[in-house]
Amino acid sequence: MTAPRTQRSGTGWRVRLRRDRSLLLMTLPAVLLLVVFNYVPLFGLVTAFQEYDPLIGVWYSEWAGLYQFERLFADPLFWGALTNTLYLSFVQLVLFFPIPIALALLLNSVLSTRVKNFIQSVVYLPHFFSWVLAITIFQQMLGGAGALNQFLRSNDLATWDVMTNPDTFALLVTAQVIWKEAGWGIIVFLAALAAINTDLYEAAAADGAGRWRRLWHITLPGLRGVIVLMLVLRLGNALTVGFEQLLIQRDAVGHDTADVLDTFSFYYGIATGDYSYGAAAGLFKSVISLLMIWGANKLAHAFGEDGLYRR
Amino acid sequence: MGIELNRRRFLGITASVAGIAAAEGLLTACGGGGGQRAVGANGEALKAALPDYVPSALLKPDIPSVAGGPDVLTDPGFLTYPSNRVATVSGVPGNGGRYSAVTPLWGTVPPADNQFYQAMNKALGVTLDMKPADGNNYATIVPTMTAAKKLPDWIQLPLWWGSSFNLGGLAGTQLADLTPYLAGDKVKKYPNLAALPTGAWRAGAWGDKLYGIPTSSTGFSIAGTTFYRRDIFEAKGITADQVKSAEDLMNLGKELTDPKAGVWAFDDVYRYIYTHFGAPLKWRVDNGKLVHVYETEEWLAAVDWCYRLAKSGYMHPDALAGDNANAGTRFYGGKTLIGGGGLGTWNLADHLSGTAANPNYRRGAFDVFAADGKSKPVVYMGEGARMHSFLNINLKPEQIEELLAVANYLAAPYGSVEYTLVNFGVEGVHHTVDNGVLRATEAGQKEVQATTYPFLASPGSIVQNLGADQVTKDYTAWQAANVKALTKPVFWSMNVSMPQAQSTADAAQQVEDTLKDCYHGKKTVDDVKAAVASWKSGGGDRLKQWMTENVLDKFGTGQ
Repeated sequence: MTAPRTQRSGTGWRVRLRRDRSLLLMTLPAVLLLVVFNYVPLFGLVTAFQEYDPLIGVWYSEWAGLYQFERLFADPLFWGALTNTLYLSFVQLVLFFPIPIALALLLNSVLSTRVKNFIQSVVYLPHFFSWVLAITIFQQMLGGAGALNQFLRSNDLATWDVMTNPDTFALLVTAQVIWKEAGWGIIVFLAALAAINTDLYEAAAADGAGRWRRLWHITLPGLRGVIVLMLVLRLGNALTVGFEQLLIQRDAVGHDTADVLDTFSFYYGIATGDYSYGAAAGLFKSVISLLMIWGANKLAHAFGEDGLYRR
Repeated sequence: MGIELNRRRFLGITASVAGIAAAEGLLTACGGGGGQRAVGANGEALKAALPDYVPSALLKPDIPSVAGGPDVLTDPGFLTYPSNRVATVSGVPGNGGRYSAVTPLWGTVPPADNQFYQAMNKALGVTLDMKPADGNNYATIVPTMTAAKKLPDWIQLPLWWGSSFNLGGLAGTQLADLTPYLAGDKVKKYPNLAALPTGAWRAGAWGDKLYGIPTSSTGFSIAGTTFYRRDIFEAKGITADQVKSAEDLMNLGKELTDPKAGVWAFDDVYRYIYTHFGAPLKWRVDNGKLVHVYETEEWLAAVDWCYRLAKSGYMHPDALAGDNANAGTRFYGGKTLIGGGGLGTWNLADHLSGTAANPNYRRGAFDVFAADGKSKPVVYMGEGARMHSFLNINLKPEQIEELLAVANYLAAPYGSVEYTLVNFGVEGVHHTVDNGVLRATEAGQKEVQATTYPFLASPGSIVQNLGADQVTKDYTAWQAANVKALTKPVFWSMNVSMPQAQSTADAAQQVEDTLKDCYHGKKTVDDVKAAVASWKSGGGDRLKQWMTENVLDKFGTGQ
């Protein structure tokens, strides 16, 4: 975390090119993929300023200027989707974000590698399930005709509406995210934990520091860089709160509860052939996300952390 | 057609919207080149372009068709595969031309240049380069071809894409006008094409000209109906004809629902039941004025009934949670006993899935009824064919004639020599005949994908479920019993092409969303009314005005 800065001046770019050529070659495929799949499609943003018609293509579609944005900002459904997005994002930040860190610390304190590996496998397996499967499992367990409610019914108890209650939908969605992604999220923290010099713990223990003091003074400071990095990334992605997960459950709680910016673009743009409108909503989201990631990064730098990159 | 409809599950999300639009033949239009939008519809002049109808008398079905009103005819039923194969085409239709063809395929793409393709090319006398494309992504593959103006020589395009894809804009700019080759008695040169019903040709026409060659055409075209578990009903001593009104149906809910046993009477039924209340499919004309379905009292009554159903406790909780994907499983497992669905589900595959869950499984459908129990039962017709194939506008006249001759071969009737080759391949290589039943060999399973050639041209629909005669008998009997209820909706098969703003209003996503929330019990009828009010001011009224001025006043109702 505190490695010395690399020497930048002195060596010419030709020398550096020759020195790093195998590394550069190795990154080339990734760069190519990035260009082809992330940068070239950026051109499609032009449709947000058109009345795009897929039959005649981008070149011939009518130019509409800012018309789609005027429509967008006058649309109460759009503002509803934005509110839902921010709300879900906030709930997930508070309830989900600390969990992988806590899990990683917990796992790190388990001494037996066997037990550790077993727990780790179990908790990150759900990551590989698709959302369809994950939600089906929730539905089978907690749905109106699921295991829990059928049990309650057979014992003449009141049933509990978990899956279709709009009021608690944010908690349900977050619970699903925790179940599915928390295990996967610990990987980066475990790696950071492994990078902490064990001598520090030994020295602290020798000085009489207990478990909590070691956690507070060694482990957490060691993780701080990574936590801040993850937080910056999370804030940058604040407007992305899951597409499939909400798409699948949209009918369960109603469109005005479940619509986020991504599903809004889909239903009110793509699904009705109103592509330009969807593109405008998508572009708005990207611009705000960019601003947020930039702001969060600034904040990280202000606190003396690396953030996304080192200044 | 049932299979492909089922497999476009992802598109099912939009199907509720596109479904109505397509069923009524409303298609958004955008223009050919240069950003110009072509708008319009089919009118009276189309009659001169339509091919003559010369039904084929080659084969006697086991269960003959029953005629209803104009353009209405039930599908004939077959209980065995005809052993006496008749040839309907003499010689080879082609002159050795080479063409590319793209069709959607829901399944594994067969190896290129396989024995089946070779046998087909030999029989057709042309080299057709078949390029099956992934059916699930077909709606995204095709626009890349149209935008680049690189359509193949022959392509299959479904009507059901509705407002998200505009066929009217391609007609005449990228797709060839077939009117000069097929209008009136010219079609008699191609007897198997002449045997396709007129309504199917009408559905492939834009601006009074013929463009599409119909596939899976039918004289009994309705979107779907309300099904029930006949085996379970019979075991409980309930017969379907007890249901004569909406309240009769609701009352079944009490009798059949048993939550402790995990059984609820109903799955979703709204989509195929709202017209029973007297609501139009989408439009109707009252005293010369156009009225949208959302503006009618009858529709609100239907929505109210569905809301009460959702709140009654007779609907399966998973259905209320919007889990449509497992509706089939619930029905097979006897967890739901009544549910709406497309007619394409009533077939052999359904029978096999159902009997796997319960050996007594038997699907039944309620006869179309009027909600009040007194009015004349009405169900609105869709197009005579929902998928058509099209020829590229760049083909020369003699090439078009060659491909139409090939289409004539592909449209040969059920049980003919040609039909057998197109659908089952070569005997001994792709199939064997075992006691009158055709069984696919391994090569047949791999190479003869049932939908490859039939998506370019196929004979009129028939009902056959070899090995499950009960299904064929039940389904044909139901069609015959309901044939009189089939009614043409306003603007039937007029293929209206409208500007983008109108098509967005036509899709009415917000109303459809609120409506769905309402028949799942999450929104009230008043919420739906509010959504309709905001839809009207946000484009709905303009849509109505546009439809009145550009379609009703110019072309009439098409009924």
